[in-house]
Amino acid sequence: MKELLGRAVAGLAVDYVDIRHEENRRIRIAFRGRRLSDIAEYSNSGSHVRVYDRGGKATASVSDPDRLHAAARSAAAAARLVGSRRERPLRLAPRVGASGSFPVRTPNDVRRLSLSEKLALVSHYNDQILRDPTVVDTEADYDEFVSRRTLVTSEGQAVEYELVNVTIYGLIITKQEGVVQRVRFAFGGCEDGARLLGREEDLAQLTAIAHDLPLAEPARAGTLPVILDPSEAGLFIHEAFGHLSEADGLQNNPGFRARLKLGVTLGGPILNVTDDATLPALPGSYEVDDEGSSARKTRLISDGRLTGRLHSRETATEFGEPPSGNMRAVDAHFTPLVRMSNIFIEPHGAALDDMVASIDHGYYLCGAKGGQTTGDQFTFGATWGYRIEGGRIGPLVRDINMSGELFSTLAAISMVGNDLSFAERGGCGKGGPQQLNRKSGKGAPHIKIDRVTVGGV
Amino acid sequence: MQDAIDRACGVVDFAELHWTRERTLSVGYGDGHLQSIVDNDLSSVALRVIDKGRLGSTFGLRPDEPSLVEQAVRAASYGDKATFSFAGAAEAPRVDHYHEEVAHFTAEDLVRLCDAVRDAVRRVRPDVALHVHASAATTRRTVRTTLGANMDDRSTSLVLAFGAPIRGVGVSVNRSLGAVGSFAAPLDLVAEFDTWYAWTENASTPRTGRMPVIFAPEASFLYLLPLWAGLAGNAIEKKTSPVTERMGETILSPRLTLRDDALRAGDPASRPFDDEGVPCQRRTLVESGVLRGLLLDLRSAAALGLASTGNGIKRELFTAGTEIQPNPWAVNWIVEPGDSSLEAMIAELDEGLLVTGGIGFHSGNYSQGAFSVQAVGFHVRAGRVIGRLDRTMLSGNIYTDFLRVRSLSREARRAYTSMLSAGGGCAPYVLVDSLQVAGV
Repeated sequence: MKELLGRAVAGLAVDYVDIRHEENRRIRIAFRGRRLSDIAEYSNSGSHVRVYDRGGKATASVSDPDRLHAAARSAAAAARLVGSRRERPLRLAPRVGASGSFPVRTPNDVRRLSLSEKLALVSHYNDQILRDPTVVDTEADYDEFVSRRTLVTSEGQAVEYELVNVTIYGLIITKQEGVVQRVRFAFGGCEDGARLLGREEDLAQLTAIAHDLPLAEPARAGTLPVILDPSEAGLFIHEAFGHLSEADGLQNNPGFRARLKLGVTLGGPILNVTDDATLPALPGSYEVDDEGSSARKTRLISDGRLTGRLHSRETATEFGEPPSGNMRAVDAHFTPLVRMSNIFIEPHGAALDDMVASIDHGYYLCGAKGGQTTGDQFTFGATWGYRIEGGRIGPLVRDINMSGELFSTLAAISMVGNDLSFAERGGCGKGGPQQLNRKSGKGAPHIKIDRVTVGGV
Repeated sequence: MQDAIDRACGVVDFAELHWTRERTLSVGYGDGHLQSIVDNDLSSVALRVIDKGRLGSTFGLRPDEPSLVEQAVRAASYGDKATFSFAGAAEAPRVDHYHEEVAHFTAEDLVRLCDAVRDAVRRVRPDVALHVHASAATTRRTVRTTLGANMDDRSTSLVLAFGAPIRGVGVSVNRSLGAVGSFAAPLDLVAEFDTWYAWTENASTPRTGRMPVIFAPEASFLYLLPLWAGLAGNAIEKKTSPVTERMGETILSPRLTLRDDALRAGDPASRPFDDEGVPCQRRTLVESGVLRGLLLDLRSAAALGLASTGNGIKRELFTAGTEIQPNPWAVNWIVEPGDSSLEAMIAELDEGLLVTGGIGFHSGNYSQGAFSVQAVGFHVRAGRVIGRLDRTMLSGNIYTDFLRVRSLSREARRAYTSMLSAGGGCAPYVLVDSLQVAGV
C-alpha cells in the first residue's frame, strides 16, 4: 500500500500532499432487551487526500482505490483555487513525526477471542441487568473497531499505525410508578480486553441506582454549588474547556481568540488541566496522529493559567505555537480535525467529605450523561445525584442538566479532589459533517464548583 | 454485475441489499475567506439476511464484493430468530428531488454562491467574523430484496449555512437554507441574520420561574425529537413510550397538527422509499392534538401486528448512514402553521423567551417527552426583545407543557438540526403558554 500511495503522492506537483489509506474492521453485537438486535462482523477501506498548494487547502475522500489518482489531481486544482483567493496563505509547521510502524500491542488482545465468546460476554452482562424486576428494557452493545492506517506524505514520511478500541456499553432502563429512567454503563474503551472482564460488581451497583432512580425527586431549577463525581468532572472539563483548547475552533474567531491568549488566568492555582495521548490504554490514547505527528502530552492549564493549546500543523503555524499531534479523523471519509486525546483535571488533594461539609444547600452529581459546547457556553447532564443539605448528603435526585459559561465557571472551581479516574468510553462530536470520535478520553477527580445553573422543575 | 442479492438467491432464506453512492462537493469560508474545498465520492452497502430463520447483517463498499453473503450468513448463525420479513415488490411514489444543475455544480459555482452571501452580509455587518459553508450533493440509493423489492432513487441537495460569532462570546448567530435545486444568495435570510445579530448586543438573563416561550422553526427539534421517540414503534412495543395505548386521545394542544410528509416536492428530506425498501407516505401523526399515527419500521410493525409505515431509517440521534440498522424515525416533519406572526407573539409577552436553539438536548430524558437545555435565543420583556439569553436553562415536557399552545405563526420554514443527525422538517413559530426557566 505504501508504494501505491507513494506513486499517487509523487504524481502531484504541489507544495504538500498526504494520503491516508485505511483498512478498518468492526464487530458489533447489540442486545435490546432480550432480543439480539444486531450482530455483524465486517470490514471496509477508503482513502483520504489532503493537498496544500500556493496557500490553499483541499481534501478528497474516495471509497474506490481506482479513483484515488483523479481525486488527488482534483484536490490539487481545488487547493490552488482556494490559495488564489486568500490574502493570508495557509501553511504547515515543520513535521514532528518520523516514519515507521506503530502497531497496537497489548497482553490482553481482545481480538484473540472468538465471536461466540464475545457474544457470550455481552449476553452475560445483559442477562444480569434483566434480572432486576424494575428493568423494562436494556441496551447492551459490544463494539470492536480496528483500524490499520497508512500515511504517506510528499515530505518523504511513511507511517503505518493501528488504532484499536473495544467497549461494552449500554443502558439500564427502569420503570417505577410510570417514570422511566436510564443509567449508562461502559467497560473498556481501549485496546485492553481485560477491562471487559469481571465487571459484574460495577454493573450491580449501577443497576441498583437505576432501580431506585424512577422514585427519586426531580432536580429543582436554580443556581447553586455542586460537587461533580470524576465522570461528571471529566465531562465538564471536556465540554467547558477542552473544545476551546482546540485551535481550529478559534482559528476564525478573532474576538474569542483574543480572550484565550496563552498566559491568561482561567482559574485558581488548584486548577491544572492536561491533554495526554501517550497515557497507556485509555480511550484517547494513540502514538501517531492522522497527519503523521507523534502523540504527546500538552499542559493546557497550569496553576490556573492557560499554558498550552491543541494544534494541527496548520493551526500551529497560524498561532505561532508548537504542534501538539492532535489532528485526527474518525475514518477515511473525513478530513482530520484538531481533537482532544485524553483530557483530564489533575488531582489536587481535597477529600470528598470536606467538599460535602462545605455546602449548605446544593447537589452532588454523578454519572456523566453527555454534554455540548457552543463557544463559551456549555451544557452537560448527570444521570443521578444527591441533594446536599447542611453539609450532609441527602436524597437521590434525577433529571439533572447543568449549563454555564466557561470563564466564570472555571473561576468558580473551589476544590479539587485526589481521586483521579478516567471514563471508559469515548465519544465526542465535532465538525460538519459531524465526526463522532470514540477515541476521546476524559478524566478528573471529584471537584466542587461554587455556582452552576441547574435546569429542573 | 452480480450483486449480493443475486449471490444470496438460493443460499439464504431472504436477503436485503442497501447501496448508497454519494458525491458531495463543499466549500468553507472562515472569517470571510475561502478556507477549504472538500470533494468526497463514497459508496457503501449493507446486506441483511435471514438464514435458517435467523437474522444477520454485514457491511461493505460495493454490492459485488464476493465476501458479503458469506459474512452475513456467518453473522446470522449467531443471530436472533427473525420476527419479520423484508420488503416485497411495490411501486414507489414519485418524488421531485433531483435537479441536473445541482448534480453538475462545480467548486467555482459554490464559491460564487458563498461570495454573494458574504458580500451581502458585509454590506450590513462589515465587521463580523463570517463563516459560510455550501455543499452540493448527489445521492443515489438502491434497495433490493430477494422478495422482489427493487427500489432506485437519485436526489440532489444544495445546502448553504452562514453565521458569525457574537463579539467576544464565541456563540454564533447562524442561518441556513437547503433545497434540491439551485438558488441565489438568500437576501431575506441575510436580513434576518442582521436583525438577530443586532438583538445579541445586550446579554440578558430572565428570572427563574415559569414563563411563555416562543420556539423558532430552528428550535422545533426540542419538542419534536421527544415526540418522535414516543411515537417510535419500538418504544410502543416495549411500553416505555408515554403515548402507549393512547391512539385517538389528546396528547398535545388542539392547535398542533403534525405530519410526516416524505413526498413533499422540492424538499431535500423527501424520499420515495425508506431504508428497508418500503414506499414512503404523507401521513398525519397528530391532528389537532389527537394522536393519529405511529412511526413503524418492518420489525416494530411486525411486533405490533401492523404494517410498516415506511419509516425504517438508517439514523440514530447522533449518526446516520449505511452502517446504522433501520430504526423508526420521522422522514420529513411538518408542523402545520397558524394565523399569528412572530411580531404579534413578541408583542403580547410581558416576559418570555424567543428560543432559536438549545445546547445539550441529548442529556435530557427525551424519550419520556422531557427536554432540559441551555436556551439559545432572546429575552423578551414588555413586548420587545431586550437582548440575547445568557445563563438561561429551559426545561419542559411536551406531554404536559405542550397541551397549552397559545398560537402558531403563518410563516413556516425548513429547519435543520445542526448537531444531531436527526434530519429536519418545516415548522412555524410556536408560542407555548408556560415553561420552566432557570435564570437569575
